[in-house]
Amino acid sequence: MTETMAADAPSAVSVRDVNMVFDGVHAVRDATFDLEKGRFLTILGPSGSGKTTLLRMIAGFGRPTSGEVFINGLAVGSVPPHRRSIGMVFQKLALFPHMTAAENVAFPLRMRRFDARTIPDRVQRYLDLVKLGKLGDRRIHELSGGQQQRVAIARALVFEPDLLLLDEPLAALDRKLREEMQLEFRRIQRELDVTTINVTHDQREALVVSDEIIVMDHGRIQQKARPEATYRQPKNAFVANFIGVTNFIEDTVASIDGERIVFDRPGFAGRIGNGFRPVTGAAARGALRAEQIRIGSGCEALGDVDTMFDGTVTDAIFEGERVVYEVSVKGLGETTLRVFDHDPVTHNQHDIGSTVALGWNVKDVLVFGD
Amino acid sequence: MRPSRTSYPLSWRLMDALEAVAAAVWPRSFSAAVPWLMLLPAVVLVGLLVLGLWDMADGSFRTLDTATFLPSDDYSLTNYHRAFTEKLFFTVASRSLIGSLIVTAVTLIFAFPYSYVMVRTRSAALRKFLLIALFLPFFIGQVVRAYGWLIILGSQGMVNEALGLVGVAPIRLLYNYPAVLFGLVQYMLPFAVLMLAPALTAIPEEMEAAAGSLGANWVRTFIHVVLPLAKPGFIGAGLVVMTLSLTDFAIPAILGGGSQDFIANAIYDQFFRTSDQGMGATLALLLVAVGSIMVGVVFALFGAGTLAMGRSK
Repeated sequence: MTETMAADAPSAVSVRDVNMVFDGVHAVRDATFDLEKGRFLTILGPSGSGKTTLLRMIAGFGRPTSGEVFINGLAVGSVPPHRRSIGMVFQKLALFPHMTAAENVAFPLRMRRFDARTIPDRVQRYLDLVKLGKLGDRRIHELSGGQQQRVAIARALVFEPDLLLLDEPLAALDRKLREEMQLEFRRIQRELDVTTINVTHDQREALVVSDEIIVMDHGRIQQKARPEATYRQPKNAFVANFIGVTNFIEDTVASIDGERIVFDRPGFAGRIGNGFRPVTGAAARGALRAEQIRIGSGCEALGDVDTMFDGTVTDAIFEGERVVYEVSVKGLGETTLRVFDHDPVTHNQHDIGSTVALGWNVKDVLVFGD
Repeated sequence: MRPSRTSYPLSWRLMDALEAVAAAVWPRSFSAAVPWLMLLPAVVLVGLLVLGLWDMADGSFRTLDTATFLPSDDYSLTNYHRAFTEKLFFTVASRSLIGSLIVTAVTLIFAFPYSYVMVRTRSAALRKFLLIALFLPFFIGQVVRAYGWLIILGSQGMVNEALGLVGVAPIRLLYNYPAVLFGLVQYMLPFAVLMLAPALTAIPEEMEAAAGSLGANWVRTFIHVVLPLAKPGFIGAGLVVMTLSLTDFAIPAILGGGSQDFIANAIYDQFFRTSDQGMGATLALLLVAVGSIMVGVVFALFGAGTLAMGRSK
């Protein structure tokens, strides 16, 4: 595709200044974003952040109080769901229990008046796609949770919609199956190249499946970025806290030197976070990820770091592939820092109560306001 | 060390005492009998009903001796022969049967939107209003309500007065078949709504949203999704409405004015007007048989499982 064509082609989905107020609750505030064709977008946020409300407006269940949703460049405000070309996988799947798996998949084709002679072939093709080729005759209650997921995906995709919406369909699955289905969503989405919007509160899922992530909180879009950027350059303290395990260290700004902020506490410094305007003498927070802190019994064990503090281990949690330490640091006003550590060779562990050295680099401490 | 028993709170000691008494009265080894014991009242009630039916079956084979006005001592099938051959009984039976079928169909059609709105509305006030409007008729009673219709529909009733104001001569709105059916529908509606509402509540709203996103408008969503999923509710409501209207007495008696008797009215006449207990018993047993056959046919067609009974697979 040439650049001019890309510029002319309308986005698969455009959301413009969308607000939603119901029962006095401002569920979505000034949401604006674009999604290019074939991309996999995840809207990530805690419950009550407005993510599902936003998705339902794109699907057509509920009209924005103000603002407009465009699909392929056309405003769809007055188009009912059944006239939109959108496949949706619902939170509780909403498979029809009085039909077989194949009848469920055939349902949208019948409703959308596809040529009846082509329906069985097409249904079989999509059942094959989700690896349920031989189970078409089963009733819904005769299928396992994972198989039901697959039927729901096939049903949402069989009529080749412009857009696939996923409303937390994996939330109820156990972890192993959930991770398997995440990869399955990714595979199918790439295979069909269908534009997809997924809603979840699972940050891991968002990082694994998405091309882009929108983080929402209190009805507002906090950040829209690629997964790596969302993780490594969070736009504010909320995003930094919501994705990954982040330590916040409270302090006062002593001096500002370009990108670098030096705090009051001796030996503690950081880098200005996205959009933060620091003021000397004002309170600020340094955000530091648990995996960016190194831990050792002495300074010499830490290697190449530019910040070092001594601390006392207050808790050590063995999680299998890693150990999570909680370390109280006297030099940072008894702040408790969470540290991930993994010693694959000697399986050394630090005992609770022991004194340890912590080290990190100034560039990893992102400073935000309150 | 364990604290002494006396340090327990009073309520604990009370419960301990109660449990000790219960254990003395009903030792643990009897516990297997508890479920059967709880079934006993129901069994006794049904048993009494069977005893009554047996007595009526006995009576149905005895003809009335017109000389002494006593039932005969010898058994015969005369009553059954009369029930199947006399035109009066055929008229009454077909009127009741056809009437109950019409009433069932009309009631279900009216009850569905009512229960649907009641279940699905987002407005708590509207739901409360619909529920109260539903239960209000239950507090009034069937006979009083039928008399209410006399006041409204009578030749000098409210409807005819209103028609008179625009110059229409009084119309006979009462004592005909439509009046009886109308009264029955009005009486049955709350039953049907109460039976339908749980079935509709059991259908997740997501199911309808899914049908919409898959391309079904509301008509097709209703036909392909809501109706099949609400089938147990429709069958349950239909059975209740059909059997209740088939056996109804007060509405045909009052709104039919004696000209629109249903089977129950005919039975009443046999027992209390002509004192032909044998004939009355025959008609009553035939009514039980017809009702049972209808219920049996519905079960055979749709399966008892559709009433949400039995364990689901």
